[in-house]
Amino acid sequence: MIVDRGIPTIAQAARQIKAGLLSPVTLVENCLNRIEKYDPVINAFHTVFSEQAIIDAKQAEKEIEGGKYRGPLHGIPIGLKDVFYLKNHKTTANSRVMAEFEAEEDATVITRLREAGSIFMGQLNTYEFTFGGRPTFDALYPPARNPWNIDRSTGGSSSGSGAAVAAGGCLGALGSDAGGSIRTPSAFCGIAGMKATFGRVSAFGDLPLSFSFDCVGPMTWTSEDSALMLQVLAGYDERDPGSVDIPVADYVSQLDKGVQGLKIGFIRHFFTTDFAAPSVITQAIDAMRTTLEDMGAIVDEVQVSPLIDWHAVGRIILPAEAYAIHEENLQNRWEDFGPLARNRMMLGSLVRAVDYIQAQRRRTELLGEIEATLRNHDILITTAMLTPQPPLDDKAPFPFLDVPMIAVPFNLTLHPVQTVRAGFFEDGMPIGAQIVGRHWEEATVLRVAHAFEKKAGLLKQYPNLD
Amino acid sequence: MPKYTDNNDLIFESMIQASKVPVSTEEKKALYDAYNSLMELASKTRQSNRAWDVRMLPIFTPKIPKGGSDDC
Repeated sequence: MIVDRGIPTIAQAARQIKAGLLSPVTLVENCLNRIEKYDPVINAFHTVFSEQAIIDAKQAEKEIEGGKYRGPLHGIPIGLKDVFYLKNHKTTANSRVMAEFEAEEDATVITRLREAGSIFMGQLNTYEFTFGGRPTFDALYPPARNPWNIDRSTGGSSSGSGAAVAAGGCLGALGSDAGGSIRTPSAFCGIAGMKATFGRVSAFGDLPLSFSFDCVGPMTWTSEDSALMLQVLAGYDERDPGSVDIPVADYVSQLDKGVQGLKIGFIRHFFTTDFAAPSVITQAIDAMRTTLEDMGAIVDEVQVSPLIDWHAVGRIILPAEAYAIHEENLQNRWEDFGPLARNRMMLGSLVRAVDYIQAQRRRTELLGEIEATLRNHDILITTAMLTPQPPLDDKAPFPFLDVPMIAVPFNLTLHPVQTVRAGFFEDGMPIGAQIVGRHWEEATVLRVAHAFEKKAGLLKQYPNLD
Repeated sequence: MPKYTDNNDLIFESMIQASKVPVSTEEKKALYDAYNSLMELASKTRQSNRAWDVRMLPIFTPKIPKGGSDDC
């Protein structure tokens, strides 16, 4: 573990670029140097846009020098999870089934980042078809490794996004989340990540896994950076039927309002009585409570249904929807799937219509529980992980049936969640927490996350890659 | 509590066949174990005497046309 690595946050870089103190070309070259040096082991990127990134950085520099500064993402190196339509490139979702697929247009989030002047560094690894659980060695590309310990899992499915940001190959990355696929790799890799309210960020051009859960969002070193990225990504898109046409808040200007007077409820039973997480996780979340209380928040403990109830609903809905999406390919191109991904999806073929509908009805009841809790609280907090990062070569075929999914409750309820670094295990691996807010109140979530990160000071430690 | 089924094995075999997916014998064994866990989870989504008006999510509602409800 080291205390500096010479790569700024998005916020730091944006201030310097705007002031003419940092060249986007220099910044991109620094990231490319790190990719060249470390990524042959980390495997965060499967394709690096080395030449185009330099060309784009020079163009950004020229525009900024000419007085055409587009905003805080102008000239900022960003990595793209390989699930988003990207003109003139394959979009594979790390599957041989998609090895030759090339979309004719960009995903909406890609367009928004392009218009903001971001520099695309390359395409990032993912679990095959973004089905989480554990890394796969049987897909199109080898799995990303955790920069804090290359023998441990990054979490998934936005595995390359978590690893690339943690390793400093880019300053921010796009992720997608249907059951924790932004939040788990963010927690495992010690970075920040946001799953916004369902409908806040367009999912057009995001290869689907689950129509009723899929969300797109930013993964960054700090929550301030998540706010800067979300500001660009958020907004109505008529091409996404789940998109909602309501105004986008100013996420950045509210960051420094602090937590004084906010009511924060901790869902502690998820990781104590419902599932016995290691005591160091409990201690980290309890310490977070103390920190926020010291800063003026009003904190208490809240109770909702046991975690297994949330897990059950997620485990029925997710594979059922994934199977429906991939049914034709599973029937006709079975051999092109990695065994792990195809068997996970096959579980969905065993879910009857009545199982699916009962799960969706239970989902309505569980949503009601969180809504009731959030009538008396501004924010809810729980852990983002129930276990340490598993070994990279864990062979369990269906690990998600053994350990409940700690991220899925808020996919069911569609609430915005930010993952933050909350502490460390004894071996130096990071621990993450989830900060949950009311629908559309990403600004409050990010404000609490930012306040905690600044006070706790945990982000000053970086993985040692040498 | 609504009863799920007395014969998961029959359902498993039938649904694998009905899927027309060429699952190997070895993979079918692993799937069978996972299926039993999944059905235990399915039982947890049932609620005794659940009210009729607990609907499934997401609930779709047509959007108001641009220009407001006067256009309807």
